[in-house]
Amino acid sequence: MELPQSMQDALTLAGESIHIPDAQFPSFVEVAFRGVINSNERNAIENLKEFTSKDPAAVKEAYAGLVAMVIEAAKQDTDIESLSSLLEDCKFPPERIKEVSETYQKNKPALQILLGSVGRTPAHIVDVDWRLDYYVKNNHMEKVNEAVYLITLKTELPSQKELQEVQFSCSQEQLQDLVGKLKDACKCLERISQG
Amino acid sequence: MLLMFEDQHKEHLSFLTQVSPDVVKEFCRISMEFIRKGTNPKIFQGAAQKLNVDVDTVHHGVEGLMYLLTESSKLMLNEIDFQDSIMTLGFDEDTRQTLLEIYLQNRREIRTILSEMTMDLPHYHNLEWRFDVQLASRSLRRQTTPTVLFKLHTEDSGVKDTTILQTDPVNLLHLTKVLDEALQEMKSPYCRRIVRNIK
Amino acid sequence: MEEVDKIIIVSLRTIGCDIEDEIASLKEFSTELIVSSAVQCIKTILKQDVDLPNTLPGGMSARFRMGTGLANYIQELGYKGEIGYQTFLYSNESEIRKVFMFLVDRLPKDTVETTEEPMGSSALLQRAIASTVLRQMNSPWISPNLKKDSITWRGKPPMWQREGSCAMCNYHASKMKFPSGTGDLTKKVPKELKSYYCECLPYITNQTRNHKDTAPSILEEIASEISAQLEWENEWNSQGLASRLSEQEYKAKKRQRIQKRLAETLRQDFKRSQEASSSRSAQDLQQVLDKMGSRTSAGKTKGSRFTHTEQLVFAKDEVVSQIGTEAEKPHTEEELQKKREEEVLGLKEELESLSSKLDQLDLEVKKYSAGVKQMEEEITTQTRQNVEKEENYKVKKRTLDLLPDAENNIAKLQGIVDSSAQKLVTLANQWEKHRVPLIEQYRELKELNSKKESEAEKKLEEIKVFRQKMKEVADDARSKEEMLKHLNAEYNSMNKDEKRSGYTKRMMEIMSSIKKQRAGIDKVLTDTKSIQKEINSLSGKLDRTFTVTDELIFRDAKRDESVKKAYRYLAALHESCEQLVQTVADTGVIMREIRELEDQIENESKNKVLSNLEKITSDYQQMKKENQSMVEKIKHKS
Repeated sequence: MELPQSMQDALTLAGESIHIPDAQFPSFVEVAFRGVINSNERNAIENLKEFTSKDPAAVKEAYAGLVAMVIEAAKQDTDIESLSSLLEDCKFPPERIKEVSETYQKNKPALQILLGSVGRTPAHIVDVDWRLDYYVKNNHMEKVNEAVYLITLKTELPSQKELQEVQFSCSQEQLQDLVGKLKDACKCLERISQG
Repeated sequence: MLLMFEDQHKEHLSFLTQVSPDVVKEFCRISMEFIRKGTNPKIFQGAAQKLNVDVDTVHHGVEGLMYLLTESSKLMLNEIDFQDSIMTLGFDEDTRQTLLEIYLQNRREIRTILSEMTMDLPHYHNLEWRFDVQLASRSLRRQTTPTVLFKLHTEDSGVKDTTILQTDPVNLLHLTKVLDEALQEMKSPYCRRIVRNIK
Repeated sequence: MEEVDKIIIVSLRTIGCDIEDEIASLKEFSTELIVSSAVQCIKTILKQDVDLPNTLPGGMSARFRMGTGLANYIQELGYKGEIGYQTFLYSNESEIRKVFMFLVDRLPKDTVETTEEPMGSSALLQRAIASTVLRQMNSPWISPNLKKDSITWRGKPPMWQREGSCAMCNYHASKMKFPSGTGDLTKKVPKELKSYYCECLPYITNQTRNHKDTAPSILEEIASEISAQLEWENEWNSQGLASRLSEQEYKAKKRQRIQKRLAETLRQDFKRSQEASSSRSAQDLQQVLDKMGSRTSAGKTKGSRFTHTEQLVFAKDEVVSQIGTEAEKPHTEEELQKKREEEVLGLKEELESLSSKLDQLDLEVKKYSAGVKQMEEEITTQTRQNVEKEENYKVKKRTLDLLPDAENNIAKLQGIVDSSAQKLVTLANQWEKHRVPLIEQYRELKELNSKKESEAEKKLEEIKVFRQKMKEVADDARSKEEMLKHLNAEYNSMNKDEKRSGYTKRMMEIMSSIKKQRAGIDKVLTDTKSIQKEINSLSGKLDRTFTVTDELIFRDAKRDESVKKAYRYLAALHESCEQLVQTVADTGVIMREIRELEDQIENESKNKVLSNLEKITSDYQQMKKENQSMVEKIKHKS
């Protein structure tokens, strides 16, 4: 894992007890993680009153360094060992390294969920509705008498809370074809899952 | 079920009772041609000259036949009903037989032509799929996210359209299961009873 | 026994014994091979060189000694069975097997190298994909409304998987700002900046408009900084070092170069555009350019003056042209055009004359200013001269004042001079007194200081070394940990060790063959039992029939002579038949005896008694010879 010099300097500040006293360090780390993960706690650091009496600029820099390190580590899927070595290089005392590593380990999935949700995807099918009609007649023809399925694929689109719909109709034969192809895909997945 | 004729229609068709079955056959051929491709007034004139009758008469005769054929096809009249329906028109035995033959021969085609005219919903045409595994992204290295990509081809009144969709294994299984159930529903006793009764 | 031999031979080969490929069992081992293998085993077990030669020596007594030594070593290792020189020199298959089984068992395990390659990364990836797909296929479906951000947690330990994309967002990065250098006390942060950092700057997670953009922005910040750093290092290493400038100088030079190039391009473009139309905006650009040029070059005032005059001229131009257009309004287009051209020409000429005039004036100004400077210099030299002269004048005046009462004054002056000289001397003495200890002190302190400095340097050096060491050790520890992890993983994956599995397979094979054999033996046993039973029943039947016929014929024999004969024949037949049976049984017994004897012979022959005897006799003879030659030698010497 690699951090630019400015971030490393900032991170080094987070390891110094002059700027972040030992007693406050755990809550400082916790707040940094929550600030990254939770949108409504993005400013939770300001509610920690202990830091206001110290040099606020240094606290801000240390916070930025820690946050940058956490995000980059989660992006690279860094393991605890390389994380500790980076912190060692930044002159973190062992107990602080332990604290950071533990919190990182605990929050890694949440961080990776956050990072994994950055990007574009096509509409994602999450559900399906169907309706079976018996097509009897129309204005041009009587006794048509065939089954017609009306299929609604419910899809999710990036950054839209509402489900979108893709709707189409198909006859019994067409549905047979569709289901056959889907079953093919399922079989393929099953084969892959067997290794 | 019998076809009910209006007086005017009867009058138009009455011309055909006076000509030989061969002429009727020819008229039927022309009618089918017109159903397929639309009317062509030039043919009326030629036929009128040949038969030495009014153009309007020929015109009415052909249109009457066209109407007769499409109407009976629309209602999907069976053999007996068709025969019974044209009984009232005063054709002789041979002509009736000819008409019946022509009706039976062309009923399928006429129904196809009619079905093309009906309202269409976007309907399924084809589905292509492929299996991808996302291994890394700009913001997250080292992941294995399996996805299934779909390209859904639909058709609406001849206009083809494609939609790109994706899903994950969990939803794929769900989708397959639900649609398979839908397919099985048609074979259930309830649906079968309805199908039987509606016919 | 074949299996055991195979295992022993394989193990011996792995520790480096030179056993030919054809040899498949211990029976085929020659005495040399046995000895060298045993020595090799002992060396490997003790992990040190022992005082045993790898090959059998030529001399008989040396051989004997070596055999005894070998036996001693093996006994020291804890071998419980009987062992002596004869075990190796006059080998017996079963004994040798026992010895080698013991030795192979004692071989250190790590010498048996396990060279299984770590799994390839593609296989690992394949496996990871398979497990992910399997987990997802086995997880139940739930409605999208029940999932938070379309994430579900499945499996054990729980892992997340995305089942929808409503929470996805674009990669949107914006500029992040955070204080830097607050921890470095040597760097001075401007007060305003500091107060901005303290009062206004929001925390880094609170800077983007959307919280979702925070992570991408920070990632982007990191990436751009790293790439900039790399780029700079590349450039510095390739070009910067070669230019032999300091970093700042190099940067300044580069900045200048770029500015120059920028200005040049702009100037060229401006020229081009001037050709097309002399618009006001182009003029502005020219101004900008000149300003830029002035900033880079030293002649600031000059440049600005030039631009000012230009501006002035241009303004005049404008006024003139305005007047012109007003006056020429009533004329036709062509005339206007012509007039305008003429006017332009005239104006241009005017402009040229003006600018030439301006140049001249400029020159004059320069000349004048140079003159002014010269004059100023002259004035300063003059004033200096003036001051000097005044001083001179004062001294001379005083001496003149003293002249009338010359002698008196001279004596006075002499007195003053003497007293001041004396004062000077005493002062010098005093100074010397003070100076000596001070100098000494100074020297001492200097020495002390240099000592301290050198000590500090030493300490610094030491600290550096320690830091280096610390880093090295940490690295070492880390690499070792990694290795441990790797090895652990390998070990776990290797649970089904090849060798072990081979052994177990072989064991299973042996077991199954034993089972088969047992089944065969059982079958033979039942067969023999049934045959015995049959024999018994048959003999019983025979007895019974014989007694019945005997009785019948005996009854008839009393009456008939021929029957009597038949009876006699019967008796004879019975007797000879009995004899026959007896013989068959006897043959069986003999056969069994023969087989037993054969087995015994084989056993005996396995012990190689004959060949060993022969060897022993030949060795005995050789020894005798050696002894004789030694005796002769001794005689010779004596």
